[in-house]
Amino acid sequence: MRQYLPLVLCCAAVVGARADEPPPPASPTQVCLSPNNHVLGPRSGDRPLPLLSGDPQHGFHSACSAPWSTLSPKNEALPVAECFQGSLLRLDHVSACGLPPGPLWVSSRWVITSAELSHATSRAATCQQLETGSWAGTRDLNLECIPQKKPAPKSDPAQPAPAAAAAPTPAPPHH
Amino acid sequence: MSADAPAPAAPARAPGAVLQSLLLAAVALFFLNLNVMGTASPSKRFSQDLVYAWFGDEAWLYPRPAAPGAGARDLQRRVVVVMLNEQALALRGARWPVPVQFHAQFLAELAVLKPRGIFLDFLLLDPAPAAETCELLQVAQRLRTERIPLYLAVTRAEDLALLESPGCQGPRGVPIRASEVFTPVAVLRQVDNSDFVSRRYPFEQRTAAQAPGSGVVSAAVRMYCEAGADAPACLTRLTDYESADAGFELAWSPAGDPFNQRWSHEPCAPRISPMRAVLNEPVLPRESPCPPVATLFADALLNPELDPALGLDNDTLFNITQGSFLMVGGNFRGSGDLITTPLHTLLPGIFYHAVALQNLLAFEGQPKVRKEFRAPKLLFYGFDLLVLWLLAAIFLWRQRLLQRSRPGYYSPFELSTAARAWIAPLIARWPTPVWIVVGTVLLLLMATFRWLQLIAVAALVVALVIVELRVTPLAERHERLRALTLYALAMLLSLGVIAVAFWVGYAWLRLPPGDWLGYLSFVAFGFFVAHAATLEFGRRIDELHLARSSGEGSQ
Repeated sequence: MRQYLPLVLCCAAVVGARADEPPPPASPTQVCLSPNNHVLGPRSGDRPLPLLSGDPQHGFHSACSAPWSTLSPKNEALPVAECFQGSLLRLDHVSACGLPPGPLWVSSRWVITSAELSHATSRAATCQQLETGSWAGTRDLNLECIPQKKPAPKSDPAQPAPAAAAAPTPAPPHH
Repeated sequence: MSADAPAPAAPARAPGAVLQSLLLAAVALFFLNLNVMGTASPSKRFSQDLVYAWFGDEAWLYPRPAAPGAGARDLQRRVVVVMLNEQALALRGARWPVPVQFHAQFLAELAVLKPRGIFLDFLLLDPAPAAETCELLQVAQRLRTERIPLYLAVTRAEDLALLESPGCQGPRGVPIRASEVFTPVAVLRQVDNSDFVSRRYPFEQRTAAQAPGSGVVSAAVRMYCEAGADAPACLTRLTDYESADAGFELAWSPAGDPFNQRWSHEPCAPRISPMRAVLNEPVLPRESPCPPVATLFADALLNPELDPALGLDNDTLFNITQGSFLMVGGNFRGSGDLITTPLHTLLPGIFYHAVALQNLLAFEGQPKVRKEFRAPKLLFYGFDLLVLWLLAAIFLWRQRLLQRSRPGYYSPFELSTAARAWIAPLIARWPTPVWIVVGTVLLLLMATFRWLQLIAVAALVVALVIVELRVTPLAERHERLRALTLYALAMLLSLGVIAVAFWVGYAWLRLPPGDWLGYLSFVAFGFFVAHAATLEFGRRIDELHLARSSGEGSQ
């Protein structure tokens, strides 16, 4: 036990020190996912809001642009159903793009949320740096592979096609 | 000139002096433009780079909109780089290479900013799923409806056909053609053969066989012209150059755009003093961490948490982007899209187009173009000859003044007879081979250790001055002082001529900053060598001519 004593003391000191420190600021994702988060209104007046369809698993697609008055005709706050990467907010049952009501995504750049107002945020911009290293190497593509499945036996035509067949394949070039 | 130099010629009369100075100027012009191997003269290009490194942030040289004192009108002519990075892709669940559907989403976001035009500096050459291509076409059509022109980078005009999506329709069921919603622009990069620096921006991309104006117009040129009142006339004027690789020179500033200070941890207003050249230190910056064009990172645009200071109601964001030219480029590690700027630093390729557009805006469509692309070419080289002629005349005037008081005395820097007599016994102590070895070792050390060069030159000058002061008679010292004063006066006068020539060439003839280093080198020592050589040449010709004349006379 004596040989582990320094390690135990060290851990206790670290825990003690952490207890004294102020809590770290909430990350954007945490702010975005705070309970009862609502979109209160547009951030930029009556400019149209770019809306996306899709989901994180299958990718996002540009749906349409619509003003806030179309999203919320009665200018009511809209609940945030989901949050992606702390900046993309999912609004359910929205019929802004001329489609049946469904989920649409909007960037937090264009709308104000209740979570944002309730959290004190820093006014400083994040430092950025340009990538100007010249490398004598080619950047490889990290493409996901699609497992090859054996074709279904011809004797059973009623069997559904394998899921891999539905995966997107590159279209031939259009000339 | 040493004592065993050719005998001095008699003071030339006015026509003779004029011809002599003209010959000196022609010799200088020839050597300053000597280009046997097809590589550009390093002194010419380096002169230009130094001018921009030292004075590029001065409005008299480069009146870019971000320069201090820019008015409200200038802010309407802003160019803003929007930099796509890995973090921005991650915010939409995408990754490099940028998927076409990300471009579609991102362009829809940019439309909110109400820019004057958008340039997408991505070559969309690889086949993409038809649905994604259609999504991009639909967004592009939406931008077109909102009167926001969308310029797309291509390697040749036919590239746009790759984006045609036959089944793609607009909101009213009308098929969307890529050629109707995109304006293809060339993104070919030009470099100088001597150092691979991108100082020049092409007007258009075409082969030598094609007629001027028939190629794919470069991005910045087309964007500038289409933002003006008479686009066809502007395009015709800017592409009317005979040479297929004609381009305009990029004025460049070492100072970053003040907007970039929000994200750059380096100061955006660096000072590069010309004194660094005197102190034998690097005279150009090592990198450009704060680029000269306002730069907005895409991740900060997509996520307000990354730059809350863009405004709770996006006011700062709209101030910088509304009515601006948005240049969308990528900055991904290892993607290879980098340019070497005229300050010899590396920046992402999009800055090449952004600075080119900034140049066209700053110089109101009259950018600086090298004399080799101008017509009539002889007129512009004639201007150079005129400047060198004036410099040669100043040199000869100084020489004549010296000759009047002391014939045969040409250079104020040669050792006096007394100093030579004092040094001679020291040199005589060791034989020639020893001096050769000592000299070789010293030169090797100075070549290896750069700091030794400045010390060695300073020590040599101080030692020779001390020797001269100790051994030279007072009258000769006065003569030396007079010669040095005349030399300094001639140098000052020559500098004045160079400055005026620089300004006339830059402001009136639309030439890039002239080869002032070349001019200066001829004023400081080149004319001495050229003059001695031409005198000897003249003397030989006179001898031959006299011999022939006397031979004819005796017959």
